[in-house]
Amino acid sequence: MSGPLPKGTYKLPLQVDEDFYFILLSYRVCVQPVVEAPSLTRGLLTCIPPASCTGSPESALRPCIEVSGVSAATAREGRERDCSGTGTSALSLFSEAVMATYQEFIQQNEDRDGVRFSWNLWPSSRLEATRLVVPVSCLFTPLKERPDLPPVQYEPVQCSRANCKAVLNPLCQVDFRAKIWACNFCFQRNPFPPSYAGISDVNQPAELMPQFSTIEYIVQRGPQAPLIFLYVVDTCLEEEDLQALRESLQMSLSLLPPDALVGLITFGRMVQVHELSCEGIAKSYVFRGTKEFTAKQIQEMLGLMRPVNQAVQGRPPATEAPISCRFLQPVHKVDMNLTDLLGELQRDPWPVPQGKRPLRSTGIALSIAVGLLEGTYPNTGARVMLFTGGPPTQGPGMVVGDELKIPIRSWHDISKDNARHLKKATKYYEALANRSAVNGHCIDIYACALDQTGLLEMKCCSNLTGGHIVMGDSFNTSLFKQTFQRVFSKDYNGEFRMAFGGTMEVKTSRELKVSGAIGPCVSLNAKGPCVSESEMGIGGTSQWKVCGLSPSTTLAMYFEVVNQHNAPIPQGGRGAIQFITHYQHSNTQRRIRVTTVARNWADAQSQIQHIETSFDQEASAVLMARLGVFRAESEEGPDVLRWLDRQLIRLCQKFGQFNKDDPSSFRLSESLSLYPQFMFHLRRSPFLQVFNNSPDESSYYRHHFVRQDLTQSLIMIQPILYSYSFYGPPEPVLLDSSSILPDRILLMDTFFQLVIFHGETIAQWRKAGYQDMAEEILQTRHPMPRYIDTEHGGSQARFLLSKVNPSQTHNNLYSWGQETGAPILTDDVSLQVFMDHLKKLAVSSAT
Amino acid sequence: MESYVKPGNQERGWNDPPQFSYGLQTAQGAPKRNLLNKRVPPPQLQGAQSPVPGGAPPSTVHSTPPLNPLAPPPCGVATPPRPCAAPTEHADSPSDQSECEPSVDEVIVILDWALTACRQTVKKQVCDDVERRLKTFEEMWRGGKLSLPVKKRMNVLAEEMKKRNWERADEIHRALIVDYVNEVSQWMVGIKRLIAEARNLGADQLGQTQNQNQTLAHGDGAALE
Repeated sequence: MSGPLPKGTYKLPLQVDEDFYFILLSYRVCVQPVVEAPSLTRGLLTCIPPASCTGSPESALRPCIEVSGVSAATAREGRERDCSGTGTSALSLFSEAVMATYQEFIQQNEDRDGVRFSWNLWPSSRLEATRLVVPVSCLFTPLKERPDLPPVQYEPVQCSRANCKAVLNPLCQVDFRAKIWACNFCFQRNPFPPSYAGISDVNQPAELMPQFSTIEYIVQRGPQAPLIFLYVVDTCLEEEDLQALRESLQMSLSLLPPDALVGLITFGRMVQVHELSCEGIAKSYVFRGTKEFTAKQIQEMLGLMRPVNQAVQGRPPATEAPISCRFLQPVHKVDMNLTDLLGELQRDPWPVPQGKRPLRSTGIALSIAVGLLEGTYPNTGARVMLFTGGPPTQGPGMVVGDELKIPIRSWHDISKDNARHLKKATKYYEALANRSAVNGHCIDIYACALDQTGLLEMKCCSNLTGGHIVMGDSFNTSLFKQTFQRVFSKDYNGEFRMAFGGTMEVKTSRELKVSGAIGPCVSLNAKGPCVSESEMGIGGTSQWKVCGLSPSTTLAMYFEVVNQHNAPIPQGGRGAIQFITHYQHSNTQRRIRVTTVARNWADAQSQIQHIETSFDQEASAVLMARLGVFRAESEEGPDVLRWLDRQLIRLCQKFGQFNKDDPSSFRLSESLSLYPQFMFHLRRSPFLQVFNNSPDESSYYRHHFVRQDLTQSLIMIQPILYSYSFYGPPEPVLLDSSSILPDRILLMDTFFQLVIFHGETIAQWRKAGYQDMAEEILQTRHPMPRYIDTEHGGSQARFLLSKVNPSQTHNNLYSWGQETGAPILTDDVSLQVFMDHLKKLAVSSAT
Repeated sequence: MESYVKPGNQERGWNDPPQFSYGLQTAQGAPKRNLLNKRVPPPQLQGAQSPVPGGAPPSTVHSTPPLNPLAPPPCGVATPPRPCAAPTEHADSPSDQSECEPSVDEVIVILDWALTACRQTVKKQVCDDVERRLKTFEEMWRGGKLSLPVKKRMNVLAEEMKKRNWERADEIHRALIVDYVNEVSQWMVGIKRLIAEARNLGADQLGQTQNQNQTLAHGDGAALE
């Protein structure tokens, strides 16, 4: 069924756009091409595996090797035996050319489908896949911004097999005469629905066209529900902070869509749910902050109950029109009263005795917010926005007591099992987060205080629902104000960059199964033929729920190759994956985005070099780092580092070129050249090292790391360092102490901080230019980074010094002879030492 | 739209980033430059991809300037430094260049015209509420509590309302509340509501009252003089 079909059944690309040839070829692999490949492309492009279109990968690769003048066998020998002779130069010629095209291919795939795979050729058996160390996996950005992708106004056509239901896509084989399409996942033959009666090879629906490997459908069912924003505001703040927060909240009313519903809950020692009306009479319901209520009780007390026969466990069916609710009102109706209400918000009136913390009922406030939305608008896009200026100190979910002399838990306390409230509070917030996720609502946390606020315990509220976490020092900072404002930023269409109630489903072809996902999601526990038994991340399912999504929300997806060793390369030569994302657009439309991607299978024994060139080291570094961060949540730090190290050594053993027991002979090809450096910086990063960070900070950094897209994640792993000097245009420099020179301005971006560092002599004759770049980063980054402007010898130069590779330290300063760069006062190992050890271990015959 | 960058609040926030005006944040069409996302492979590994015969180290690795790093820069190249510890305001709004202050009466007349138009259809309580906020606005202006940029932008906003460019007026209101929330938070919501209600009105409802108001305005102006 999946073998080559007779000629003429398919539509072949008649005109070939250079931008699209990759797509055209890659989707028509089992089709006999009518267009001669060389006429489409430049030079070597035709030979590389992703673009191969002539049946087996083996035959596709042959011309490539011939071009570089070495046979595949010679090439392999060259790798093992000799890395300086002619074999190598031919090889490197080959690899450079192929690398360039792979980089293009990878970029195109990211731009078009929001997908970056660790391997762009897939090892054809389970055994070979495990030997590659980095699993077949990808970073997937479900709602990647696609200004060039107009959504279509009909519903997707699904495969009729009950346990498949994959969506018709450009990889499907179509018989236009019989009006039948074959599912490329389960090979079921499906008739087209009646509306497709006019289909022919010259009249095709968009979803069959290769450039629509990602397509978005607008499907509208049921009544349109407005977006909901429920503000949950801590009033135990200093007056200055409260004032700034009042203003930001008032400002936000101008940024919300006019028909959005808005609600207000304030809390301190008590929790107040404010009734919003246009009548100008302020009325609120007050709850004690120490007593836990069930969802039903909350709904009863707020008068949200439906007539008895309809209320099924507090969750009415979604199709029913939502009951009107006095606590959630359209912004355009209550904006004036709400502005007054916010303007009149007072600090919590309960006196705070000396030596005590204010009593803050965050736990109950959140549970009322979750219960309120659960009872009124289940399965409708909603954001709970928690603004807090300190830790929860009473009631369920309390993180620290009110005695100031007992400090909030530190990593030290946690490791000594001396954090009294940690487990109970975490469990409490997890239960809330899971309830919220079931209802499709997301929870944001805006925590602004100098001390910790309990993010460690509360992080799950955002991590499981796709909400934001923003951590700042005070609400009266531009970091908070602008970050909050940008939550409401709009895209090129003037639509909010937020989506709600997403579910993401994965379909795989038979040789692949999905092992799990890591990102701001929860499992929907959907079993099926695509689900692998071995779990990586959140596994055991083929569907995940992501309640809050932005265009940059990115999930890491891990797969397992299940084809047996020595079994032939799967029929058709390629495997496919389909991502189906249902979500509520910010304009309240229900939409489905479908992305279908495919990659060639390759025999890892005879084609290992091609697999190696298909390696995406950037994606792989982020994918492995997410696995590491996921482990770090449950395992001891050193164990995670050891695991990462082992993976790196194995990867270097597999792909390095070396002579046994000779570290100096060790070489890595260009496709892996940056990878060890990424791992070096990852080991030192705050995602895996908790030293010098509070538990809240670690939670905050990890929260962002497991949701940002590849570019941002990579910045977090290995900060970007650019040099501005008189000797040419700005250029990237090694993230190394040797790059700190007197006549340079350095710009370092770590995602959370933007550091401008003035070299010793440059301070006297600064040249502008870097500021534009800095401004651009500051304007686009969400959340806003801290901005550090410092100079040689400045105390804040430590932000740069702590990130660069310490190649010159006080220990080896003299061995450098002339002083260049800036020595770092540290005993940390440098990248050079790290690499020396790595090489030694990689080439060692002992391991 | 006003474009400026103000320093962040270093008192309250450690290394607080600068604050960008709404105009800068929403400016579109400005071609995005390439992101800084290039990295240099470490020298030990770079040798692997293209070994140089003779084992000479690749020269580009350190990207170190070849000259004595302590030497002064080539003359004539350096431009005066732009201070960056406190990013300065670089306002480029044309309306900011003129120093003359807009007249409060002109602005109020337009707002009152819109409010009067609304009174025909909109609930009295809402209109009274809007009126109360317009009063606050007027008092603050007359009391010298509004800054020049706010007054100027309110003037532009009123002009846009007069021309029935509701979308523009709404955008100016958003920019004002984002950039000057501490000055305008008390009354801006009244303007916001006024724009929202007025845009729902039919042309005839607006037209009638405008004529009435224009005559009224002349009367007012005369009375003031």
